[in-house]
Amino acid sequence: MSRPISGARALAFLLATSIVAAACAPAATGPVASAAPQLADVQEVIVAAEADGYRNDGKRNLLGMFPLNTNVYETLVTLSPTYQVEPGLATKWEFRSPNTYRFTLRQGVKFHDGAPLTTKDVKAVMDRMATAGGGTVGIDEKSAVIVDELNIDITPKRTNLRALQQLVHPSWGIHKADADVNTKPVGTGPFKFTSYTKADRIVVEANGDYWGTKPTLRKITWRFIPDPNTRVLALQAGEVQAVTALPRESAKTVATGELRVATSKVGAYEAIYVNIHGKQPYDLGQDKAVREAIAYAIDKQGVVQNVWQGNAEVLQTMIPPDILGGSRSVVKGTNRDVAKAKKILDDAGWRAGADGIREKGGRKLQLTMVVGYPSPEIHRPMPEFAQAQLKEVGIDLKIVTTPDTAAYEKRLASGAEGDLWVEAGSQNDGNPCFLPDLLFASPVPGGDAESNMYGNAFAPGPKFDAAIKQCRESTSVEDVQKAAAGAMKLLIDDEFVVIPLAGTFRLFGLSNKVLDFVAHPAGVHQRWDSVRLAK
Amino acid sequence: MTRYVARRLLYLVPVWLGISLLAFSLALLAPGDPVRSTLQAQGIDAPSAEQVRELRRELGLDDPGPIRYAKWLAAAVQGDLGYSVRTGEPVLRSLADRFPRTAQLALIAIVLGLALALPLGILAALFRDRAMDHVSRLGALVGASIPSFWLAYLLIILFAVQLRLLPVAGSNTPQHVILPALTLAIGAAASLTRLTRSAMLEELTQEYVRTARSKGLRERSVVVGHALRNALIAIVTVTGIRLAGLLGGAVIVETIFAWPGIGKYVVDSISGRDYPTIQGFVLFAGTLVLLINLAVDLMYVALDPRVRLGGRAGGD
Repeated sequence: MSRPISGARALAFLLATSIVAAACAPAATGPVASAAPQLADVQEVIVAAEADGYRNDGKRNLLGMFPLNTNVYETLVTLSPTYQVEPGLATKWEFRSPNTYRFTLRQGVKFHDGAPLTTKDVKAVMDRMATAGGGTVGIDEKSAVIVDELNIDITPKRTNLRALQQLVHPSWGIHKADADVNTKPVGTGPFKFTSYTKADRIVVEANGDYWGTKPTLRKITWRFIPDPNTRVLALQAGEVQAVTALPRESAKTVATGELRVATSKVGAYEAIYVNIHGKQPYDLGQDKAVREAIAYAIDKQGVVQNVWQGNAEVLQTMIPPDILGGSRSVVKGTNRDVAKAKKILDDAGWRAGADGIREKGGRKLQLTMVVGYPSPEIHRPMPEFAQAQLKEVGIDLKIVTTPDTAAYEKRLASGAEGDLWVEAGSQNDGNPCFLPDLLFASPVPGGDAESNMYGNAFAPGPKFDAAIKQCRESTSVEDVQKAAAGAMKLLIDDEFVVIPLAGTFRLFGLSNKVLDFVAHPAGVHQRWDSVRLAK
Repeated sequence: MTRYVARRLLYLVPVWLGISLLAFSLALLAPGDPVRSTLQAQGIDAPSAEQVRELRRELGLDDPGPIRYAKWLAAAVQGDLGYSVRTGEPVLRSLADRFPRTAQLALIAIVLGLALALPLGILAALFRDRAMDHVSRLGALVGASIPSFWLAYLLIILFAVQLRLLPVAGSNTPQHVILPALTLAIGAAASLTRLTRSAMLEELTQEYVRTARSKGLRERSVVVGHALRNALIAIVTVTGIRLAGLLGGAVIVETIFAWPGIGKYVVDSISGRDYPTIQGFVLFAGTLVLLINLAVDLMYVALDPRVRLGGRAGGD
């Protein structure tokens, strides 16, 4: 997720902008690039990126690969902007029961040092991932088996039929077997690694021998600028031509004159999870009527317009709808209906007290909303917005913010002290079951600590687990989508454990000279090889 | 003099031990599980119970608190602050890599701040209740009231976006240091200007100043050689405190200007529950403050003979 901006600093930034803009002459405006533009003689772009997240111990955050994908590496299969799995370094794949995928490599692909891509290189990557814990796919040193020069089998150590959709993630990028991924990135991608200066920049240049359409850009420099406002200012000052993770508060300011905003389709979401296993005083979420009333009380369109300032759309699922394919309409969701919310609570015996807050059996309908994942700032002012709307139906909402993810998770892990938990998440691979499985499957003794932490508060039970099992074990894409949609329907339509609020867009600020940029909804899959620079 | 210095050095030992205990304890009291953070940072999202046990043992988290503190302190005095959970690098090296950038920014800012504050404060005192004094006091009030992040954005918008004279952010060229240093300097100058003014006003009313003037000394000698020299004791004290603060990392300014100093690194470490780094930083920053305080104490001796004489009169 993008690094959040604090409300006070955003306000100060906007105010500062206004003052100086009023005092100084406005920047010159220029025409938007035409359909058939003249290209710049020097095809070099500087991009202001978020904070440098690379580390150098060979296990995670690999240089040029993740979290910032510089297109130096490619994966066996790729994720399209509509979340479909497409050929990458593998031209085809075949599922071999019970738990194996066989990949056939693309022929004629060369690494940046001129060496041909081989199945040995693919095995080396899988073996490295195995030593680093096996990754999301869950592989070990026996998982990758070379069949011949073109074919390789990958068998996760546990049953995992979603391996194909998980291998699209750039952290599974293929590098040369003997290359050091932390210092000398050697991949097959459209750009070659040039240099890296910690906390400052990473530079790549075009790969003239690229097997696909060769990039027009000769060089891309990503400068790490942690502060989102500074990134915007760098764009306005002409120091950079593109900005990643544009703050939503700045979108309207940027979209003027020589600059524009590029918007992806929905790739992330904001949702409320209701604690259905809480102990007093956090046990009111166990009442289904309360959960249902909350779902009907909140105005999702209002969240989109007022909180996300139009840079989102109403979402009825908690993952990008595209990933559910033809099953996306299975989940109906809810829209604001205050009368219905009130009736549900009336029917359940919650009566309005003298102060307008409902009561039942002498207990007031008071809930606590915990805000802090991945940061409290990213949600503001949604909690206050929801607070006002819940009050209309007689629910008193107390808002608790945690300073960061660790504090949020500690609160969740230690007794789940809260009724409503607000989260913003993103979908970075092609597995539609990933988030529902991680967050809502029933806890398993000795299982994944994070999954159990969520399951202890939110797991709806055996029916949902059965849907997830089906999702894990289905082989056809349609069956997986159907199972994921079924699991989601149970969470959202039947049990009201999840109340999706908004599907959010990924925003980029661009100079109008930057042409043919296509924003990917999952930032780690962003491609730059189609980009050109106009004069 | 020697005994004065020796006594000051001896004072440092218990204070430093107190800081080390605080550094060690603070990280333990913070929320989050260091074992889980470490495993996640290593790419292990679903560790087995055995992996958790093994790492807990490896990190020494099974030992009682006092033993863990003793082991940590023993390693720390040998320059081993452990390894960062987030980056995998030795903590001391990470701090040492970034500290020169922070020190560069802090020193330039403090020099710039003094260059602004001393003349303004002296002139304000000399021309008390006249236009110069009002302008100086207003400037100091405004400078002290503007939050650094606000000022930073204003300076960027003016000098980088509108006038295009200076770069927005980064650290590659000497020009890159100007705006962050100016941002910090203005804040420092504001408080130092007010302090200089009040200290000078006090000194200028002293008997020795009247005596100096009656002896026919030039006004410049009276002001600079006598009054300012005595006023400097307060100014040096506050400058030392401000410098110590800046050397601990100007988090907001470093973040806004993408300045690769220690502040942003440490804040990210706190968010990531990077306990070894948090502990190492508190110890590092605490040691710096102690050393700066020591330097300030020694400067007192140079500035004011009464400190030396007072020490001797006291039997030292």
